[in-house]
Formats: sequence, structure tokens, C-alpha cells
Amino acid sequence: MSTDANSLDDLKSAATDAAEVPKESQTTYVPFYKRVLAQKQGKIGLTITLVIVVLSLCGPLLLPWATGNTATEFVTKPFSPYGLFGSDNLGRDVLSRFLAGGLTLIVYGVLATVLGMVVGAIIGMLAAYVGGRFDAVIMRLNDVILAIPQLVFALLAITVLGPQGWVLVTVIGLTHAPRIARVARSATLGVITEDYIKAAEMYAMPRWKVLLRELLPNITGPLSVEAGLRLTYSIGYIASLSFLGLGLQPPAADWGLMINENRIALSIQPWGVLLPVIAIALLTIGTNLLADSFARATASTSVEA
Amino acid sequence: MFGKVIGKRLLFSAFILIAVSLLVFGATLLLPGDAARAILGQQATPERIAALNEQLGLNDPAWLRYFHWLGGLFVGDFGTSSATGGSVSALLGDRVWASFVLMGLAAIVSVPLGIGLGVYQALHRGGRRDQAMTGASLVFAAMPEFVIGIGLIAIFATSVFQILPAVTLAPPGEPVWNRPEQLILPTLTLILVVTPYIVRMMRATMIEVLDSGFVEMARLKGVPEKRVILRHAVPHALGPVAQVVAIQLAWLAGGVVVVEFLFRYPGLGQALIDGVTYRDVQVVQAISMLVAAVYVVVNLAADVVGILTNPKLRSAA
Amino acid sequence: MNTPNRRQALGAGLAVSALAGLSACGGGTVGAADAGKPVKGGTLRVGITGGNSADTIDAHIPVNNGDVCRSVNLYNALYGWDDDSQVVPLLAESFEANDDSTVWTCTLKEGIKFSDGKPITPEDVVFSFKRITDPDDPKTAAANFTMLDKVVPTGERTLEFRLSEPNGLFNDAVAEYTAGIVPVDYDPENPVCSGPFKLKSFTAAQSTVLVPNEYYFDYDKTYLDEVELLNFNDDDALINALLSTQVDAIAGIPLALVEVIGADERMSILNSKTGMWLPFTMRVDKKPFDDVKVRQAFRLVVDRPQMIEQVLSGYGTIGNDMFGPLSENYPKFPQRKRDIDKAKKLLAEAGYPDGLEVELVTAPIQSGAVEAAQVFAQQAADAGITVKIRKVDATTFFGDEYLKWDFAQDFWYTRDFMPQVISCALSESPFNETHWDDAKFNKVFDKARAIPDAGERRDYEHELQKMLYDEGGYIVWGFANQVDAFQKYVGGLVPNSTGRPLSGWRFDRVWIGEV
Repeated sequence: MSTDANSLDDLKSAATDAAEVPKESQTTYVPFYKRVLAQKQGKIGLTITLVIVVLSLCGPLLLPWATGNTATEFVTKPFSPYGLFGSDNLGRDVLSRFLAGGLTLIVYGVLATVLGMVVGAIIGMLAAYVGGRFDAVIMRLNDVILAIPQLVFALLAITVLGPQGWVLVTVIGLTHAPRIARVARSATLGVITEDYIKAAEMYAMPRWKVLLRELLPNITGPLSVEAGLRLTYSIGYIASLSFLGLGLQPPAADWGLMINENRIALSIQPWGVLLPVIAIALLTIGTNLLADSFARATASTSVEA
Repeated sequence: MFGKVIGKRLLFSAFILIAVSLLVFGATLLLPGDAARAILGQQATPERIAALNEQLGLNDPAWLRYFHWLGGLFVGDFGTSSATGGSVSALLGDRVWASFVLMGLAAIVSVPLGIGLGVYQALHRGGRRDQAMTGASLVFAAMPEFVIGIGLIAIFATSVFQILPAVTLAPPGEPVWNRPEQLILPTLTLILVVTPYIVRMMRATMIEVLDSGFVEMARLKGVPEKRVILRHAVPHALGPVAQVVAIQLAWLAGGVVVVEFLFRYPGLGQALIDGVTYRDVQVVQAISMLVAAVYVVVNLAADVVGILTNPKLRSAA
Repeated sequence: MNTPNRRQALGAGLAVSALAGLSACGGGTVGAADAGKPVKGGTLRVGITGGNSADTIDAHIPVNNGDVCRSVNLYNALYGWDDDSQVVPLLAESFEANDDSTVWTCTLKEGIKFSDGKPITPEDVVFSFKRITDPDDPKTAAANFTMLDKVVPTGERTLEFRLSEPNGLFNDAVAEYTAGIVPVDYDPENPVCSGPFKLKSFTAAQSTVLVPNEYYFDYDKTYLDEVELLNFNDDDALINALLSTQVDAIAGIPLALVEVIGADERMSILNSKTGMWLPFTMRVDKKPFDDVKVRQAFRLVVDRPQMIEQVLSGYGTIGNDMFGPLSENYPKFPQRKRDIDKAKKLLAEAGYPDGLEVELVTAPIQSGAVEAAQVFAQQAADAGITVKIRKVDATTFFGDEYLKWDFAQDFWYTRDFMPQVISCALSESPFNETHWDDAKFNKVFDKARAIPDAGERRDYEHELQKMLYDEGGYIVWGFANQVDAFQKYVGGLVPNSTGRPLSGWRFDRVWIGEV
């Protein structure tokens, strides 16, 4: 438990890392995915995540089957109980919009995570590998970005650039990067002194090849934990921004936006709010459980090694 | 010795704040639009717009405006809100306190609660309750704040029971704490978001401490178990947890945004969302700086505490 | 002067239908029945949303809801609007034009006084208009008085408004609440008032306290001891304040919640039909809207009843692509209905046999605007029109591009046809968002403008209206009701078509009844 970590996210990761290591997987080598699935968290997390992802992917295809409508058509008066889950603020079928509303959230979440992982991993590994002044400068710049909470940073970007999809993905991805860079950097520092790296350098392997072929594969454990966590946060932030009315814009069918639009009628027509709320809750819980099981699975190999 | 290390941290904090201010100010240069027109509204005459542009110094070059703005920050002058035409400081004055009350309440409850639950879990580790609580903390740590908040509203305010207010009603000029029942749900939401991290950290640290040699030793010496835990184990675990607590407090400054919006709580977060919605740059700048300042100060405090309490760091310094 | 004929009848009809609308919305009734007979005394607490540190008590620069409310209660103009949006005398006894409408003669009421007891004189009126039209600091109403050459006192109670060009509509301009009369030594910080109330205290963005002006000519008919105006951050807070009896009346409630609030036995709903419109604006000089067939097709794809139902929750009246529904000369053109086949045919003739794609710029400029855009996009899809909605924030909407959007929306309060044309349908109009500039139209309008009597103006107005109805760039799908709510014990609030809430903000007629 390091006390000099001064970022919340390190500690969030640390707190996840600190989860107890299951004893049975310490003796023999078991592939990563099997170690993940051997845990209750892993199984439940994967199941929940898959259910929601499949629902979001197939949702748009299920529309005609559900109501005979598209997600933007109108059925009846606003906030009336027509249909299985009633209608929303403009009289659109809630079930249809619910089925159509998850895809963008998941796609944006994944894109932001991928962007953050790529940029963050490159910066972190470079900082550790190059070291010296470069490392110091990069880490100081990281600290500057870390001083503004991600959501506030996103709001600042939206004020200036407007609530567009690419702005959301870019700003959330880029604000993930310094947090991921820290993890990548410390993981890289951990393996950089290993013999095989030194051997590769001795053979005058180009630096980028060392980074890509030798370092990267050896830090995938911590990075995968990070990816799981970041995906959870990405989904949370994008849904939050849409909920604030600053993410996806009407007439998009989107869970966060649905909650925003129907919030005023929570007491008379709760489904327009509750369906998407439940879906977002399940999705983030699922990815977080997965991240947790990644952490446990990673911890068990490091014990073995 | 300490002074030098702490002084270095202090300098670094100042550097961060200056860099953040550059970032925040620089971002707004990209903004299209006409602040004077935004203040005066759709039907303003060109003369009035020109006069206001002059008055707000919008005709000056960017670097001059930056220094004016930065100078203003030090004396509590955050500029003029383009959405309302009034001073940003006046707009934020009461709201700072309202947000502070909300965050303070959340902190007062969640810190002891988190530590207590963490200790309990560590002592009963592996048990059914421990596992259930670990699962619960994973669940609450995962969900965005507004999802938890809406869940609470549905349960306590609208759909199941109707016992607590779902929105904050603040008559003009009346402080929010005059109606404590309105503070319950927003505070509870923040508590549910913050506590899981403290619990997990406390549990992990406590387990480490309990397994360590000196606790073993105390037990072997025949010190009663209760005393072992309260006098020996817990204080040792508190050090690292203090760090998490500090960071959670800093996080509250940002996380409170969504919760305030959800409960229509008249604090900084609500002002920030309004600012973004109306593209009220001055307000967004001011709040971003305030939040960054809170983050930097709390981190500085945590660093100082960390340096002072950690024997390893103490010797390294 | 506007003689009360057709418009009076229309107004009466509106009052009846407004009542009918009320009975349909969950049992809300107009308060008088519950509040009993008028009673003297008591404080009326009114909740409004909005308000900020720029709030003002200056008579001539009101911006937001609260400013207008203060202005209407503290200051009287020469003329004003009644509940049916008719121009009626306030401080003036009469206001007459000469034959070519270049000189208007005003006679003030006898014995009228400001709140400090000093008489209201022609000099005060001269000062007020000078202040409004001050070239160095023009006030809100200045644009209405560009043709005003000078104001000259001609007697103890009379004065002349001399115009640089004929204007038969000048009485409409002096009836705006932005043209309130203030004394020569007017101090906007510490105002002396000409209205039914005077100021007791004022804190921007928080509260305003008004007390009756004992020198007001109808002081005897004022019931209340005090009016307290309270600012709230948003609709939720406002509604909560009403339900918890923190305030007695609130101005404007979300239309989707009318039924919920009306269901509360303690509450009355005030449902006022108005001439407020939320049109789509097509630029007649930009592709594809430069082709009149495209404009006609777009007007034919709108399902107007559905718009009213979904955007306004049913609280509105159907529009017929014509503004100024309360004008005396509002035309009886056939109601335009949704006709997809005809729209498709028109589009095909205009060169879009396979439909077309347009961008509709929308912003939360008024409740219902973004929703209207969404409903329209859906309706237009049936005719092969793909409407891409571009939602921007209100500041951007009213920014540099405002009045330049090809296809967008806007929001207008109740106005008569002629003043509305001056605002938005002439090449020199300040808000000509459809870029309507038609030589024949302008010519007819100049003729109409010189005629003070609406009855005599009728044929010209109809000619203008026909042009806009056939070829204009507005899609006027409906007029939104103003819906307010108040405690049942509040009396004297009646439907008011001006679009200003709570009987057009005039609280001198309101009383607090026995509970």
C-alpha cells in the first residue's frame, strides 16, 4: 500500500488490487480468462455485461417486434400509460426508446476507453522507459490535468466546443490518459530491469520494438484491470453528461437523455426513468465486477511469479 | 528537513494552479460568440453592446485579459457572468457555502462509517457478511452518482415511500440548512458513492496490519483482543486510509456536480451546469478553478500528513 | 381608436373556451368562485423563475419575467393592454391621430399623480420619451419610436407626438409596458412610480416588495396591502413553493404538469389562451426554401393537432400559418391541414421527387421549442423529408447566426398583425428571420400603416395576410396557452391573452379571500 500515491484513481485501483487473492489459483498456472471466470465476480460480471451489451446491440432490431414502431415515433399523449412501459414526455413508446438507447452509450464508452488506454499506455511506458527529465516533465503535466476532476474537465470542454459526440469521446479519453499513464509507468518500471529487456537492448533492438514486443506484453495484467475500471468510468461519465443534458442531444434515443427528459414525471410515469437507470446500473456494475476479477486474476499470477 | 519537503510540495501546488489557470483560460479563447450580446439579450442595440464590450474589457488582447482575470482571482473577483450580467462572485457566494455544507455532511458521515465497516470486514474476513459487503461496495462504487440518486428518489420520495423531498426548495435568501430534511437524500447519495472506497481501503490496510508482526506480538503478550484492535491495529491502518479520505474529499468537490443537479440543490455544481448550458464562460472558469484549488489544497494536506506520519518517508526526506 | 367590435366578440369567445379548457384539465377552476367576494387587505406572495443580479426596477429596460412584472405594477404607460390584448387607456384619457397620422394628440387623465404626490404633467411624458429614445443610451422600446420626431406639450393636460412619417399604429407603440411614464427627476435606483403600486424593497434575484400607491387614480379599487415577488431557481422549486403554501401564486408551470398540479384540491389553474407562437422559420431567399413550393410542402406536412397535443400537452390553439390571432382583422382563411400527398406532389414539382434533407436548428429558447423540432422531424419524414435536428444552446442560437439560420425556430409574444409585421416581415424589420422582402407587400403595408382605424385597414391587412398565408416563410402551427397556478383563496385572477402571466401581472385587481 503506497502512501505517496496522490491520485484518487491510483487508490481506487489500489483498493481494487488489494482484494484478497484466492488461494487455489496460486499453485499452478491457469490462463487469464480461466482465472477470471473461476471467480464469482468474474462470472456474474461477465454475464451481466453480456446481457446488457447484447440487449443494446439487438435492441434496435427488436423494435418492430416490441411495439411496431421506431424509437422516434409517437404513439399517444405524453406521460400516458399506453403500452408495456408507457410513453415518454413526447408520447413516444418508452420500451422502444429503451431498446434503441444503449448502443451509443456503449460505443462511446468503449471508444473513450480505447483512446485513453492507447494514449495513456504510450505516455506511461515512454516516461518509464526514457526516464530522466522527460519522465519528470510528463508526470508534472499529468498532475496538472489530474487537478481538475474528469467531469468538470468534460464540462469545460463542452462549454467551449458544444455537446458533440467526438467531444465527449475525446475529452473523456484524454482525461483518462494521465491516470492510465501512471499505472502503465509504474508497471513498466517494475519490469524494465528484468533480464529479457536488458538482453533485447543488448541486441540493439529498436526502442519502439522493445516497447511493443517486450514491455507491452508484460504489463497487460495491470493494463487490463485499468481498462475494466476505465470502461466503467467512461460509461458513467457519458451517461452522466447525457443526464445533465450536455451529452447526446435530442432526438437521440439514449439512456442518459431519457432519464433527463422524463425526470420531471418520475412520480406519474416512472418507467421512462427507471428502465434506463436500471440498465446503466447493471452495465456499470457488470464492468466493475469484471475489472475486480481481472485484478484478482492478475494478482494471482504475480504471486506465482 | 520537513520544511524543505513541504515547501517543495507547496511550490509544486502553486505551479499546478497556475498551469490549470492557463488551461482553463486558454480553453475559453476557442469559444465563438459574443459575450456582450449574451448578457444584454436578443434585442440589445449595437450601442449598448459596444459600451458593454468596452466596460468588460473584451477589446483587450488575450494575454492582458488573462492577467486581469488571474489578478481578479486573487482578490475574489471572478468577472462578470454573461448569462446574468452580474458579478460571478456574488452569484457563487451563497452557493459555495451550500456546497460546503453538503460535502461536509457527507464527509462527517462517510469517514467514520467507512472506517468502521472496513474494520468490521477485516475482522470477519472471508465470512459471509464480509463477502456480501465486498459485493455491495463493488456495486455502489460502480454506479454513476445520478443512478444511485434516482434510485433513492424512487424509493424514498416518489414511487415506494413518499417520506422525503425529492428536490431542494430554497426560498431566496434562506440558507439550505434551515430545512434539514431536504439535505438527507443528496447527502445519502454522496455517502453511498464515497464510502465504498474508504471501506475497501480500510479493510485491505487493516488486514495487512492484523497480519503483521507487532499485532501478533501484542496478542502473544496477552493484550486483550479489543485493545489489540483499538489501540494497536486501527491507528496503524489509519495512516494510509487518511490519504484515501483526503482524496475522497477532493473528489467530492467534483462529484457533487451531478448530485446537486439531480436534487436541484442550490450549490456550485448546479451553477456549473447552468453555466455550461448557457455557455456562461466566466462562471465555468471560476468554478473549475475553485474545484482545482480544493483538489490541490486537500492533496497538499494529504501529502503533508503522509510525510509526517510515515516513518519510511520521514527517513527518506 | 380601436373600436371594440369584432375583437371584443373574439375576446369573449376566448374567455369561454379558456374556461372550457379548464374544466377539461382536472377540475381546476378560476379562483373567484373559491376566493369569495373581494376583500381588502392581505399579502400576495408570487413566485417566478429566473432573475439574476442584473434584475432591474428601471421602467424602461425590463428583460426577464420579474423585470416585466415590476415594470407593469410600478409604472403606467399612456395606454396598456387589457385581458383580451386590446389597447385601453391608462394614464391617457384619449389619444387621437390627425388625418394623415403624422401628429398624435394625447390628453392625460385629470388629477393623476405620481407616488410622491406630485401631478403627472405633459413635461413628465416628454421626459419619459426622451429617456426611452436617448440616442446615447436607447432603451428597450426605442426601436418602436424611430419615427417619433418630437413630443411637444400643448396644454396643462395635452401634448402632441409629431412623427416624421405617417403611422396609424402609434397608439400600439405607446401601449407597450416598456413605455412607462416616469417623472422628470426620475431616479431608477429610488423610483417614483406612476403605476398602481410603489416599491417598498428590492433585492435583485431574490425578492421585491410592492405596496399600493396611495396617489394612484384607482387606489380605492386596489385590494392588497402588499405584494411580495419571490425569485426561484427553476420550475421544480417554484411548484414546490406553491404546494407547500410558501407562495400564493406562481407564474408559468410546465404544461406537462398541469394535470398533476390541477389534481391538488387546494390549487387553481389559470389557463389563458394567448397569441404566443413558436414558429418554424424558413428563409425565403435560401435553397431549398427559395422555392415557394417547398415552403408550401413543409407547411402541409405538419400535423397541427398532434403538435398541440404533444408539444403543448393540449394547452394551445391550432395555428394557420398566420400570426396575430387576436388582431381585429385576423383573416378567416381555410384551416391548413396535413396533406402528405399534396406535399409530396409539391416537392416533386420543385425538383425533389425523392424527398430532400434539411437541417433544422433548434435551441431551448422557450419551453417546447426543442420538443416541437423533434415532433416536426417525425411528421416530415412521412413526406420523404429528412429533418436533421441540430440542437444548440440558447446563447449560440441568439448569437452571430441568429436571423441567418436557413431553417430554425423562434418565439414571439402576443402581438397584433401590424406591429408584428413591423417586427419581422419588412426588409427593415429588426427580426426578419424569414428574409421576407416583397415589393408588393411593402407597398400595401405602407398604405395600411397610415390608417389608424383597424376597420378601415381591413382590406389592406387581408391582402398582406393572404400573401403571407400563401407564400410566407413561417410555419405557424399553434399558439401556446399561458398556464399559471395559484391557491384557491386568491381572487381576481382571470384568463389574460397577452401572454404575460397571472392576468398580465396586474395585481391591483387581485385579492386574498377567506380560506
